[in-house]
Amino acid sequence: MKQELHANRVQLSYATVLFWTSTLGIIFIIAGYLTYVLQLLPSAVSPAEVALHWHLRAAELHKVVAVPSGWDWLTQLGRGDVISYASIVYLSSVTMFCLAVIIPAFVKEKDFIYTVLTLLQVTVLLFVAAGAFSGGH
Amino acid sequence: MDHRIYRTFGSISFLTVFTLLLLLPAAAFGVQTPPPVQTEWWVWEIALFVFSFFLGIIAVIAGVGGGVLFVPIVSSFFPFHIDFVRGAGLLVALSGALSAGSPLLKKGLANLKLALSMALIASISSIAGAMVGLAMPENVVQLSLGATILGISVIMLLSKNSAYPEISEPDTLSKILHIYGIYYDEQLKKDVSWQIHRTPVGILLFIVIGFMAGMFGLGAGWANVPVFNLVLGAPLRVSVATSIFVLSINDTAAAWVYLHKGAVLPLIAVPSIAGMMIGTKIGARLLTKVHTRVVRKLVITLLAAAGLRALLKGFGI
Repeated sequence: MKQELHANRVQLSYATVLFWTSTLGIIFIIAGYLTYVLQLLPSAVSPAEVALHWHLRAAELHKVVAVPSGWDWLTQLGRGDVISYASIVYLSSVTMFCLAVIIPAFVKEKDFIYTVLTLLQVTVLLFVAAGAFSGGH
Repeated sequence: MDHRIYRTFGSISFLTVFTLLLLLPAAAFGVQTPPPVQTEWWVWEIALFVFSFFLGIIAVIAGVGGGVLFVPIVSSFFPFHIDFVRGAGLLVALSGALSAGSPLLKKGLANLKLALSMALIASISSIAGAMVGLAMPENVVQLSLGATILGISVIMLLSKNSAYPEISEPDTLSKILHIYGIYYDEQLKKDVSWQIHRTPVGILLFIVIGFMAGMFGLGAGWANVPVFNLVLGAPLRVSVATSIFVLSINDTAAAWVYLHKGAVLPLIAVPSIAGMMIGTKIGARLLTKVHTRVVRKLVITLLAAAGLRALLKGFGI
């Protein structure tokens, strides 16, 4: 009860979702990384091959080796390098999940300003995640 | 007390050696004459993990965000292209912010409404910064990174935070946006209520901060905290906590640009995130056992040396 004096219900909902989604994210990136470097699953590009080219600019490296980027990995989920990359994509999506969860909470509280502000924020993040600002893949 | 002096002396020695190494020419590390790989890839992975671990320790002790130290220093010592170092730097700052966010929100130290009001425009400028940063030639990136890092060192050295700023009257915009709050202050042992002023100025400053954070892959705590605290007048604890929350939104936006431009390699990002997170936890435990002020000054010197080195690299020296 005391907690609600310092943080309202919307904020507490955000905090709870953030805790679980970010904890899962940390576990996921470590598991994904180990799957890749220990080569528990086959990868299109081995870590050694990536290391041969990691001194190149991002655009040049992608011309030489087929490492995942953007959303181009979605059809190749069984690969070790893809699983490791997908874990980073997940971590980069955590804020969107949390913001999406509080929109109904703001609506329920009839808080028009923050409903709109949060909707706009989620829209911006969805656009950038879809690759709208960077050409996409 | 003796232990404290020994530990501080140890930290000082470590940081001094670190700073001196930073001032050596890049060729001494084989950074500018890159591959073919002479060192096995896994050696770099372990080195990056260990390096990020120590960076996490000193970042907490010095009260400096790990993200701001990561990019200039890792791009100096490791053979990775700065595109990937910036991508990893953003993810290091993002994962730190995500894991710290929940308790800060629950305690009411981070304020959702204050953060959301600033983050929308800041995240858009962060996207723009990331796009510009990835399109710039490498020497221009190094030059502007060097100048920015030197500027950050000066801000860190000169800025004096105010624990409980006095606000006589909140501004109209903050009233419309319902930005105010109350938190329990552990030091004062009582609830502290707060409000803000100069909201439009704060929003404008966050546009600039967002742009720079996206451009260089830096966490932006070094700028968020003074703006929340000194410009808007939020208490220091609220400023630090809300800064972390804003950072999680802005860095998410910028990280997606880096992901789409192919500037994120798990081989570089994950050891950095893991090392920095463990180091941060150890650093928090050591916090009461070393002279933080001395270490902070040395870390600022280290940061300035990293900035100078980036500047020299930009000039091709």
